[in-house]
Amino acid sequence: MNIAPRYLGRGSWLARRDPRVLILVVVLFIITTIQAWDLRLVLVLLAIAGLYYRSAGIPFQSVKRNWRVALTLITIIVVVNSILTGDRVRGVADIHTYFAIPLLGTPVSAESLTYALTQWLRYVGMVTVGFPMAFCMAPTDLGTAFARLGVPEKFAFGLDLTFRFIPSLAVDYQQTIDAQRVRGFDPAGTGGVVNRLRQMIPVLTPLTVSAIAGAEDTIDAMDLRGFGTVRRTWLRALRFDRVDYLVLGGFALLFLAVTYAGIALGTGQIWVPPFMLPG
Amino acid sequence: MSSMSMSRSSMWNVDSRVIVYAAIGAALYGVLGLFSFLLPGTSNVTIRPAFALVTFFGYGFGPLVGLFVGFVGNAIIDQISGYGFLTYWNWSLANGLAGLVAGLASLYVGGMMTGAISRRALGGAIAGVVASIVGFLFVFSDIVVGGSDFNTVLTTGYVPVVIADAIASAILVPILVYAWEPLKESMGR
Repeated sequence: MNIAPRYLGRGSWLARRDPRVLILVVVLFIITTIQAWDLRLVLVLLAIAGLYYRSAGIPFQSVKRNWRVALTLITIIVVVNSILTGDRVRGVADIHTYFAIPLLGTPVSAESLTYALTQWLRYVGMVTVGFPMAFCMAPTDLGTAFARLGVPEKFAFGLDLTFRFIPSLAVDYQQTIDAQRVRGFDPAGTGGVVNRLRQMIPVLTPLTVSAIAGAEDTIDAMDLRGFGTVRRTWLRALRFDRVDYLVLGGFALLFLAVTYAGIALGTGQIWVPPFMLPG
Repeated sequence: MSSMSMSRSSMWNVDSRVIVYAAIGAALYGVLGLFSFLLPGTSNVTIRPAFALVTFFGYGFGPLVGLFVGFVGNAIIDQISGYGFLTYWNWSLANGLAGLVAGLASLYVGGMMTGAISRRALGGAIAGVVASIVGFLFVFSDIVVGGSDFNTVLTTGYVPVVIADAIASAILVPILVYAWEPLKESMGR
């Protein structure tokens, strides 16, 4: 299993953007999508998310498994939600029931199916915009980007430090596994819950304790350099260019438009396509 | 006699020690959190043993470290898995809140944080279970974020994750306390 962040979109149009753009677009898109329940509007948002995703140049073969897992998870949530919600569909008084699910008795209606489809598309849109942040951003840029977005610098530094620790901890992890294998450890694990958790102990414990003990060197180095006594500066310089402003402006405008549409046109309520209404 | 407790004021100090322990914890959670297994007898409930690190770091190093380890660690797991750092921000925050609650253990199991190591280990287990139950209440924000029904979040989100994480914490946090405490004393911490 790959336990390091993968920079798959390197060199793409989106990767050339300021990393703050990728963070802000996710935030703007999520708060925009949360407001939309009209299927037509959600399809528009999904199309925009798709275009944004394409600009990241992420090879599909490399993320096929990630997509499969994400879509499975979303589908499970939506199906369970539809079964449990039944006909309690938000903002809709007039329900057109097709049939009831045998044994459960949950009614399946034009409205509940539309609601489920809309909810599924909303989730897919959010994940579509989230993928570029995972695969199209240099991992070392994350701390700097958050710091420049106004996040407290100590938090941002911690974030930066976390990404720097990951490769060395991944190596330590592999070495610990190898060392324990020599002693008869089976990383596949078998048995019940308690047994499988106990089987993690030979890896989890030495890795954690040695990492904490090893942290002392980093703490000393930071203290000797006077960490926290003056305001930090960052080696990586970030600067928005005109295209960055255009992308951010576009998503901000989208947020305002969807907010307005929710108030003026009622797109915060579900819309059932006429062909789904019986008779 | 050793103690895992810290004074109320030092709990909220952010110094180099807090930053480094938080970063180490988040990186460990990010690396080990990718490994999980299915709870026997269920179809979609997975146990992530590494969650015990969130409550252990909170319990051992304070609420801010716990908050950071849970929030950033979970976001890193999402980042490596491909969902993106902030896509499931509310689940990351729920993990962070669990770490924060474990870090506030002195408020509800304060008496168990001093004395014999067995008491401190038991305190860690209790803090881990309480933190899982309280911290993950935040996943009900899925009602607003995803438009899910209360019962859906309860049955597919909250209950499975609390059961899984409480089991992992109750078993693994005491073991981590047993491993770390003697080393901490020998290091003069």
